[in-house]
Amino acid sequence: MNANDTVAVVRDSLTTAKDSLAGVHMNTPPDAIARNGRARRRWHRLTGLTGATAVVAGTALAVTALAPSGHPASQSGHPASHPRTAQLAAWTVAKQANGDIKVTIRQLSDPSGLQSTLRADGLPASVTSLAQHDPSCRPYPQTQALFKSIYQAQKAAGSGNTILIIHPSALPSGAGVQIGAAVDQQVGDRGLHPVAVNQTIHHSVLQPVHQVAARAHYGVIRVGLVYASQQCTGS
Amino acid sequence: MEFAEFYESTRDDCLRIVLLHVGDRHLAHDLVAEAYTRAWMSWRKVRELEVPRAWVVRTALNTHVSWWRRRRHEVALGHHDTAMPAELATAVSGDLLAALRRLPARQREVVTLRLLLDLDTETTARVLGIAPGTVGAHLHRAVATLRAAIPSHDGQEISK
Repeated sequence: MNANDTVAVVRDSLTTAKDSLAGVHMNTPPDAIARNGRARRRWHRLTGLTGATAVVAGTALAVTALAPSGHPASQSGHPASHPRTAQLAAWTVAKQANGDIKVTIRQLSDPSGLQSTLRADGLPASVTSLAQHDPSCRPYPQTQALFKSIYQAQKAAGSGNTILIIHPSALPSGAGVQIGAAVDQQVGDRGLHPVAVNQTIHHSVLQPVHQVAARAHYGVIRVGLVYASQQCTGS
Repeated sequence: MEFAEFYESTRDDCLRIVLLHVGDRHLAHDLVAEAYTRAWMSWRKVRELEVPRAWVVRTALNTHVSWWRRRRHEVALGHHDTAMPAELATAVSGDLLAALRRLPARQREVVTLRLLLDLDTETTARVLGIAPGTVGAHLHRAVATLRAAIPSHDGQEISK
């Protein structure tokens, strides 16, 4: 068999493999791609602001996302002294009596607000859009046992919301939590307030190197551990 | 060509190619959607490329590497939900796809452009910014590796 024959054999095998996927379709409509691109541009513009301005901008968004919870944000909107339960339209953070922090996620939005709230609870935390890599954060060495001692993911009965329970007491000294959220391209054009995930979210794992806490049809939430630092986790 | 037209005409093919590489339907969808979003954001530049769909596939696969580097320290929560397409399990040797995924990055790119996107050597060279002879060398090595992973007609795998 000469070189051309070998190429032909490999080409045929790969083509057969690809053809076997004829039933696999990219079902995201083109306008959803465009809407996501526009949302991404807005996000880039927002996060491209100076740090102080970005905090204010994020705060403003958090305020606009407030749900009637009976716990209005402070005047500044920054939850530096937020009540034991801080509820936004996108998520709820409740500090439990045993020190655990329960995060109920309904929308993959307002990461800066969630980050501020977690930090206000004394948790070194970095919450980002998965599209935004934070170079100031370094992954913390971890074992699966350590990881699972810190995080638990649940699916709320009824609503299907994702519940993430964080056990701060299990965090090693010098470590912080990292939560990343991304909206899927099927999400409508809602800027930084993407579609609610409560009807479609389910727990799964993409693959061993892309572990996720919860994967929604419309988005994905990933969690990890990072070295705590002022730049990455606020403390 | 407008973005929507480009997207409609290429999206399924790009998704299937990326799926061959990553082996996970959800992940492939996420990667391709991400690549098309970036293409939309840079459409003025991307549309001028010689083979925009090659840009999409390469971007998706590079994003895969980037995500892997960023997320490799994470550990799973929740239930495991494997998304390997059943079609692949029966259509070809899993060894072939495993061998494809183990190829060095440049060889994998050459295989993708030459054999899966069916570009000729010169176009592949221009897309990758390398010499045509280099394309041939990478393809030769890659094909030798992949051929060894394809079962022969008598059911025995061919050794190198």
